[in-house]
Amino acid sequence: MQSYQGVQPVFQKNYNKMLYPAVFAVGVFAIVPLLGMFALSLTDFHLIKSWDREFGLANFIRLTQDRRFISSISVMLMLSVFGVIFQVVLGTLIAVGLEKIVPRWRFLRGIFVVPFVVPAVAVALIWLSLFTPTLSPINAFFDIFGITVPAFLTTEYGAIGAIVIADTWASYPFVMLLILAALQGISSDLDEAASIDGATKMQIFWRITLPLLKPALLMVALFRFIETLKHFPLIFVMTNGGPGRSTQATNYYAYIQTFQSSNVSYGAAIAVFLFVFAAVISFYVAKANARLTDA
Amino acid sequence: MRRHDMSVKQIAGVIMMLVFLAFTFLPIIWAIILSFRPKTHLFEPIWQSPAQLTWDNFDTLARSDFPFALFNSLVTAGTSTILAMIIGVPAGFALAKGRSHRKFIASWALLLLRMAPPVGFVIPLFLIYLNVGLLDTWAGLIAAYMVLTLPMVVWSSWTSLSQIPDELIEASLLDGATLFQTLYKVVLPAARPGIVATAVLAFLIAWNDFFFALIITRGDTVTAPVAIMNFVSYATVDWGSIALASIVLTLPTVPVIIFANRYIVQSMGGAVKG
Repeated sequence: MQSYQGVQPVFQKNYNKMLYPAVFAVGVFAIVPLLGMFALSLTDFHLIKSWDREFGLANFIRLTQDRRFISSISVMLMLSVFGVIFQVVLGTLIAVGLEKIVPRWRFLRGIFVVPFVVPAVAVALIWLSLFTPTLSPINAFFDIFGITVPAFLTTEYGAIGAIVIADTWASYPFVMLLILAALQGISSDLDEAASIDGATKMQIFWRITLPLLKPALLMVALFRFIETLKHFPLIFVMTNGGPGRSTQATNYYAYIQTFQSSNVSYGAAIAVFLFVFAAVISFYVAKANARLTDA
Repeated sequence: MRRHDMSVKQIAGVIMMLVFLAFTFLPIIWAIILSFRPKTHLFEPIWQSPAQLTWDNFDTLARSDFPFALFNSLVTAGTSTILAMIIGVPAGFALAKGRSHRKFIASWALLLLRMAPPVGFVIPLFLIYLNVGLLDTWAGLIAAYMVLTLPMVVWSSWTSLSQIPDELIEASLLDGATLFQTLYKVVLPAARPGIVATAVLAFLIAWNDFFFALIITRGDTVTAPVAIMNFVSYATVDWGSIALASIVLTLPTVPVIIFANRYIVQSMGGAVKG
């Protein structure tokens, strides 16, 4: 941002005026609920029982002793870490493939985007049908060869795997689009220079393309990581947190505490935890983004 | 490109692409098949009775609450998109071109609002709505969707408007136009693809929402993503209608594939040069 010197300072005020409606709207629609969340987390508000306004940090102390909360964090991290790894690897492979290996197929980019625009509920329902053994064509196909495909959704890790697969399907196109954009920003001169010097395509990929992609990869991974922390429709539709509590991620646990067990304040405390977590990560995303745009 | 590259590596690349294509498309093809399968043949392998097709699911869908829910979705997603654009685009313009030392804070705040857990917004909103009678109203849902769309609109118009050359704005200002006139008559037409893509994405975010609608709507303003769940009950799951409803729900998102996928990157992911 260097060439605003040409604009006379008198216009500066107008620019600020343009910000006011948005600042006001964000204040009303977003900051007020967030303050409400913080305030609620310090009370013991309960939808049914009477409540005590002077509660302090008791909800947060309870959090540290709540086994279900602690296991929900590990579920959340499993869903996020595996999901992000698969999405980033698959999205990057397809982007690099389309751009470098079979550039004649570049038109497929518009086709690979399709799952990204399928609404989350539809994603969850379609994959639920594919993971329902009596219905699924996958099970029927393997039955021909006498192979019984296990019912993923009835086992602890199978259910987590099923959600990761559905999420990967829906989200790798986002990674692909971002990496494609980043690849197009990388000059092909470097590739050519390296290949004249006798580098193989593999060497070019590992030594030149990948290091140059690193900021974009970091950015997209962080971005997807935060999105996966918010998993809701996939869990709600595909597993409902089960079997047992094995897919009850933290966000989902907050929902259950608030809207099924009516422990509104405790749910708010869990949301505060998630909020702080997101604040830390989004700080790094903003930093990575600033570095990427200034570069 | 060297000729003899059309070799093992490229064949491997082609096979890899075919595998990914299968992974991408089999679920979609499956949903289409499912929406035409009669209930009586639902649990047979498809190749045993491939000719058994039916329009029954279309009837079921038409007679259910689903068309009504689609209308609710259209109204709430459409209105919140228009509002978010009117409020958000000028802010994005100010951040892109105005002088400010707080741009990093602004970008962090916008990201944080988009990344904050929805459950954190929804708990207080639910209690407020319960007390002021906004539960299960269009206005309540539209206000909730502003939380989702506004930060995205500001962020995305910020990135696409910062690519407009400063000279264009200066020339217009020197000609005596106000800043608002400059924005609407000069800057927006020049940035049309990015701005249209922003609006499309804002619409999609609201259209796809499940969580907010689940909590703050009931019968009257239930949106399509929540209404689909009516086909799931403990006793039976109406797979055909579910599949068809999923396809119908996805159709409005098709424009994104056709013309906006280039801009999704800027809008969703941040400003990657490209």
